[in-house]
Amino acid sequence: MKQHTTKQANERNPIRERWTGQAPGSSDEALAGALLRAAAVAETFGAREISEVGACLRGKERFRPRPLAWQLAVAAALVLFGSALSASVSRVLHITSTRAPEQSVTAPTSLPLRHASRGAARAASPTPAPATIPEPAPVAAPVTDRPVVPRALRSLAMREEARPDKPELDRPPSAIEPEATPPPLPGASALAKESRLLARALAELRQDGDAEQALALLDEHRHEFGAHAALAPEANATRIEALLRLGRHSQALALLDAMAPATTGVGREMLVARAELRADKGRRTAALHDFDLLLLTGGKADSVTERALYGRATCRAKMGNGAGARRDLETYLATFPEGRFAHEARAALERNLR
Amino acid sequence: MRLPSSETTPTGEEPLRAPDLDAIYRAHAGTVARWAAKLAGPGNDVEDLVHEVFLVARRRLPEFRGDAKVTTWLYRITERVARQSRRKDRFRRWFSRARQFDIEDAIAPTRLTPVDDLERRQSTAACYRILDGMPDKYRSVLILFELEELSGEEIAALTGLKLATVWVHLHRARARFLTNMKRAAGRGP
Repeated sequence: MKQHTTKQANERNPIRERWTGQAPGSSDEALAGALLRAAAVAETFGAREISEVGACLRGKERFRPRPLAWQLAVAAALVLFGSALSASVSRVLHITSTRAPEQSVTAPTSLPLRHASRGAARAASPTPAPATIPEPAPVAAPVTDRPVVPRALRSLAMREEARPDKPELDRPPSAIEPEATPPPLPGASALAKESRLLARALAELRQDGDAEQALALLDEHRHEFGAHAALAPEANATRIEALLRLGRHSQALALLDAMAPATTGVGREMLVARAELRADKGRRTAALHDFDLLLLTGGKADSVTERALYGRATCRAKMGNGAGARRDLETYLATFPEGRFAHEARAALERNLR
Repeated sequence: MRLPSSETTPTGEEPLRAPDLDAIYRAHAGTVARWAAKLAGPGNDVEDLVHEVFLVARRRLPEFRGDAKVTTWLYRITERVARQSRRKDRFRRWFSRARQFDIEDAIAPTRLTPVDDLERRQSTAACYRILDGMPDKYRSVLILFELEELSGEEIAALTGLKLATVWVHLHRARARFLTNMKRAAGRGP
């Protein structure tokens, strides 16, 4: 007891000497000081960064959703899910205890039915077309500026627009209603709604240039259809594009990091954007991996290859691989003599990468 | 959003009477950036964090009555934003199964020689791994004392803790840091 009080009293004593101020040595405190000294090196946040963030704050930045609302939404979802689960379990238990085995097998609960309809919706949904953005983006912006809506979405939206939403209101009343006509699958209309929402987001982003509004629509999409929606990959790609337009590179990179982009079609655009962002953040090893992948699987001399070649040369030069960087720059100039980086590449070769 | 032009720039230590986010931003953005960088650690974008802090500040400005110092108010917001960012980052890393050395890659490059730069990155990453194994209340106090080089009184003013509590937290934080460091080096329990 006495020891405990003494310890407490000692803990109240002020500490005068900082570990970071200790001379290098082999004691634990000196080692801790060395570690803390390394971490104390401040990142630069100068006048440029201050004015950039200030401009964003003065702009028409939307307020983010309040955390409380999200917490309530998650809590409500968990309660609903828990109730549904317990109801299903108790129903199954009740059926198995009271009915014959063959009857319990033929009585599907609502949960499998929902899964079935969702499965049907997924089956009806077109697979994400990798070649929806055939032309690569300009160098500064990793994603294309052209007002293009993916083909899959366009066709879906057109199909849905051709079909009136409420046909029973427009049609004249008829005595003979075709009884055999099956009701539309719930998943189909959900998919149509999803595609319309996404098409609106793309239009806001690429036609009106309003990335904020596009993000708001994408938030709405995620809120309504969840992260595993049929068109979630397309929504994710659009969100990345919007974030890049707003200059929120870290958020875009976080999304790209969580993805495994394909090495064909639009996946190459994503991959080269990720590589450039990683290089920009100083994550050169990871960036180099992406550039290597692009150049190994590329083949054609398009602008993605152009960016990948120049990006890899820059990474290699910064990592001290002068010979590799020189090779890349020479290949670049041979393939793209009038390319966007031709001037810089020639200048770098003339400086001998110093 | 209302960003009225300020007639008087706040000194930073005086209670603010008229809410003026523009003036607060101009006076404290640099400090907030430093706190955010240290509290969140590598792998978190400082610009994004500062942006987030001042978005929260803008939202909460009407509630700010000037009872506390502006710096205390901003520090509390920064601490919360940094904690959320670390949590998200941890979740993202776990979710994407990112490799351990990504944290080293995320540290901003410097003008040091490649070897020195690599050593600094490794030390910083090791330091933050140790810090991340500590409770937030100890972690913050240790960062403010060792990395920000604030005095006990300044930490107490910033965090709103009693001075005695600051020293208690600091003693315990140091003990934990050493224990975690030894464990990381394979010398601890």
